[in-house]
Amino acid sequence: MNRGMPRSPTEGRRPLLSLASAGVCYRRRRTLRSAGALHWALSDVSFEVMSGETVGILGRNGSGKTTLLKVLAGIIEPDRGKIERNHSSISMLSLQVGFLPQLSGRENALLSSVLLGEDRMAAKRNLEAIVRFAGLEDCIDDPLATYSSGMRARLGFSVAYHTTPELLLIDEVLGVGDQEFRQKSTAAIKELIKSDRTVVLVSHNLPTIRELCDRVVWIEDGQSRMVGPTEEVIEAYLK
Amino acid sequence: MTPSRRTKDILLYKTYAELKAEAQRNFLGFLWWVIEPILFMLVFYFVFGKLLGRRPEAFIPFLLVGLVVWLWGQATIAQGAAAITANRGLLNQAFVPKALFPTVVFLKNTFKFLFALLMLLIFLVAYGFEASPIWLEAIPVLAIGGLFILGSAYLAAALTPFFPDLQVLIDNGLRVLFFMSGIFYEIDTLNTGYTAVLQANPAAVLIDSLRTVLLAGEHADWWRLSGVLAGALCIGGAGYAIMRVNESRYAKIAY
Repeated sequence: MNRGMPRSPTEGRRPLLSLASAGVCYRRRRTLRSAGALHWALSDVSFEVMSGETVGILGRNGSGKTTLLKVLAGIIEPDRGKIERNHSSISMLSLQVGFLPQLSGRENALLSSVLLGEDRMAAKRNLEAIVRFAGLEDCIDDPLATYSSGMRARLGFSVAYHTTPELLLIDEVLGVGDQEFRQKSTAAIKELIKSDRTVVLVSHNLPTIRELCDRVVWIEDGQSRMVGPTEEVIEAYLK
Repeated sequence: MTPSRRTKDILLYKTYAELKAEAQRNFLGFLWWVIEPILFMLVFYFVFGKLLGRRPEAFIPFLLVGLVVWLWGQATIAQGAAAITANRGLLNQAFVPKALFPTVVFLKNTFKFLFALLMLLIFLVAYGFEASPIWLEAIPVLAIGGLFILGSAYLAAALTPFFPDLQVLIDNGLRVLFFMSGIFYEIDTLNTGYTAVLQANPAAVLIDSLRTVLLAGEHADWWRLSGVLAGALCIGGAGYAIMRVNESRYAKIAY
């Protein structure tokens, strides 16, 4: 390697995940009257995620961003191409996973943490921090059914925020809850992304991508059009 | 954390959560786990014991043993068929091994069943049956029964998301099976050429075996039960394999 060159942001890091020409095909359900058409939501996507970096996924509505996140999360497998994984854990920052209205806030927090991949013991240890962050100390033992939607959103966010996968997937940095909590949660996620965590971030919002991402993958019609440093890709995207 | 450890944690929490959620859905809560089989039994006692006047000796214990086992299997298999579909929201948010969903259904219903079984045993003693060491034979009988129920729930859960029409077939199939399993009559006493066919039905074998052990105080027919065990392993193995092979397809089905 040429030592005179500036260090690239990915130098010395190992790939946690790599996609090679990955494609995902959906089939509509067959009924007596329709044959069930095929639809390739992703057709040809290739890129790598290196440890410690933040990769942005940029693309218009319907370009396949959500499907791509599901492939990365292991929820669905590609129907063609390859995915290689070298990470110990991965999860999407999903809110209110598995919440049941009859259970208390505390029980829902534990259930949801475990579903998101946390150890039972770790989930119990985190519980106090989760409750404090959500600001629900006074009603954490009440049934979730008695919570307002804002309170549920706060609890859901706080649980997801306190999970610690090696690779974190985020679909839009959206604050939740009332004005105050929205600012607090947005700031918290941004902090999280800026730390040395490995993050894949999907967003429509160019300023957010600019602020947070080291590299960007531009997806269009299910294909990766361009992969590279943030500014270069955004410039091409805007043309 | 290892995947199996995570699976165990989810299994534990989700089963607990669903049991508790069910118990809190109404005022009487978990008392329904006892009341429901009793109500069910009263209906059958009234229809078949009083109106139709066909009463084997000790009809109530006879009926109870059959109904308690039947309700366990029927609820598990019917809910098992819908288990993956019912959790489609979760499937799209995080990777969860699909076999977990019918297993939660099984554990939940088994817990309720054990509750009902305890009531049944207390009732039998109060009714005048003697609790003898042979009752311990009920444990392996129920273990085989549980495996068969779990296996059936696996297969139903594995296939129903791909063929939603199966849910209707399963619900109706269970209804037919209910009348064919000798729950409120003795298959032996039927005057038909189909007795052998009816006796080959796994539900009938299980119910009959449990009655033999608990009510007659005799040894179960292990030859017939081993057939049920073999069936359970085949069906359950097939169901599990289908879920594993299609692990990432379930999230792609548009429900």
